[in-house]
Amino acid sequence: MVSSVVHAGFALLLAAGLLGEYYDRRALAVVLAIVVIPEADSVLGFVMPGAHRTVGHNLVLPAAAAALLYYDTRLRERSALRERLADRWIAVAWVGLFVHVFAHVPLDWVHLEGVNVFWPLRDRFYVLDGEVLLSTADGVVQTFVDLRVDPETGSRTVDAGGGGTTETVHVNNPVEPRDPDEVTDEPVERIFPVANAGWRLYLVGTGLFALAARRLQDRAPREDGA
Amino acid sequence: MAPTLVNAAFGALLGAALLGAAFDRRSVAVVVAAAVLPDLDAVASLAVPGATNALLHAVWLPLTAGVVLYWDTRLRDASRLRERAGWRGVRVAWVALAAFLVAGVGPDLFGSEGVNLLYPLGDAYYLVSGGFLFSTEDGIVQTFVSFGAEGSGVLPLETLGTTDSYAIPTFINPDGRPGLSLGAERELHLVRTGWQLVVVAAAASLLAIRFGRAGRESRAESTGDSAEVSR
Repeated sequence: MVSSVVHAGFALLLAAGLLGEYYDRRALAVVLAIVVIPEADSVLGFVMPGAHRTVGHNLVLPAAAAALLYYDTRLRERSALRERLADRWIAVAWVGLFVHVFAHVPLDWVHLEGVNVFWPLRDRFYVLDGEVLLSTADGVVQTFVDLRVDPETGSRTVDAGGGGTTETVHVNNPVEPRDPDEVTDEPVERIFPVANAGWRLYLVGTGLFALAARRLQDRAPREDGA
Repeated sequence: MAPTLVNAAFGALLGAALLGAAFDRRSVAVVVAAAVLPDLDAVASLAVPGATNALLHAVWLPLTAGVVLYWDTRLRDASRLRERAGWRGVRVAWVALAAFLVAGVGPDLFGSEGVNLLYPLGDAYYLVSGGFLFSTEDGIVQTFVSFGAEGSGVLPLETLGTTDSYAIPTFINPDGRPGLSLGAERELHLVRTGWQLVVVAAAASLLAIRFGRAGRESRAESTGDSAEVSR
């Protein structure tokens, strides 16, 4: 996994922009919990091969959760959630979903063997890798999704970075530091990364910066507001 | 430099996070502009050797702006900025400054091409790159900051060269050296890697949500009772 610290950093930046009047320590704590909990699928790896980056790292379950949340809080006559939770926690739940979909799943999507995006509907790991550029020689170039048309048969192939399935892919993590199918005598080295590239350190730093700046701002006197 | 679109995306995210009550289309536009501004030193590089990621990416300009802003809004008896632009103006100015540094310079410093942080007083392109991890075999491993390393800079960071030895190709200046090279092929990167695409997508979605919410609130206010509006 990209370290949870990196996810948390980017999540803090997004949450600070979305929470609005509900921004406080308790709301941030809930958002951070939502960031960390999906990593529990690395423990599931003991009972289900390839569970890490699959069970907690897809876009199908968040979409289902969003649909349920929308149905319950907006469409139903009597919302089961609204009866139990204040408006603020429903707002925090939406922010948590946003953070999961934009700060957790996609940052793992670009890392190592990627994530199992459409699990449980479809079992295949995808890696998001490429670039988009405008070139005076070639026009718009994007290499994230590779579209190829076979000149002989006319059949189209789409390569969006698809890889193996839960059967074949194991994403190393501190709980299972190497593929269980691999047999070696080397001592086990568990690596707990904090930030393994400059941009990951930058995401951590930017999140902390937003947090610190919000604290400084709140000390400013309110009465001189316009 | 990191793609300007990525600078703009981080600027938008910072603006949404920090503007608070001053958040609206105009203030976000100002903050995003501040985040994009440092990349304009690529234009200066057509005349000044090695100005890309140096002239407007150095710390001196934002440092001066920060000192002036602090002096004007905190130390002076009557702040000129607050008199002219009110609380909102002061807030936008601080957030724009933060966007210039964090969203405009930051991605380049932590990214691939480095920033000439102390230009023109010191001349070296710095890059924060490395790793920070805990391993059960090796303990804590940290390679971002290295003291006493070889290099041309005074800061304990990886250096890439000086304005003489290191040129950054950009869309405006494809070879990174003074002079127009009209015939050269130019490339304008929108995103270079997957994570930058993620940041751009997150920023676009977040702004859409915030503007949508602001629109709903202003509609509710215009139809709601006056007591609610004056609050």
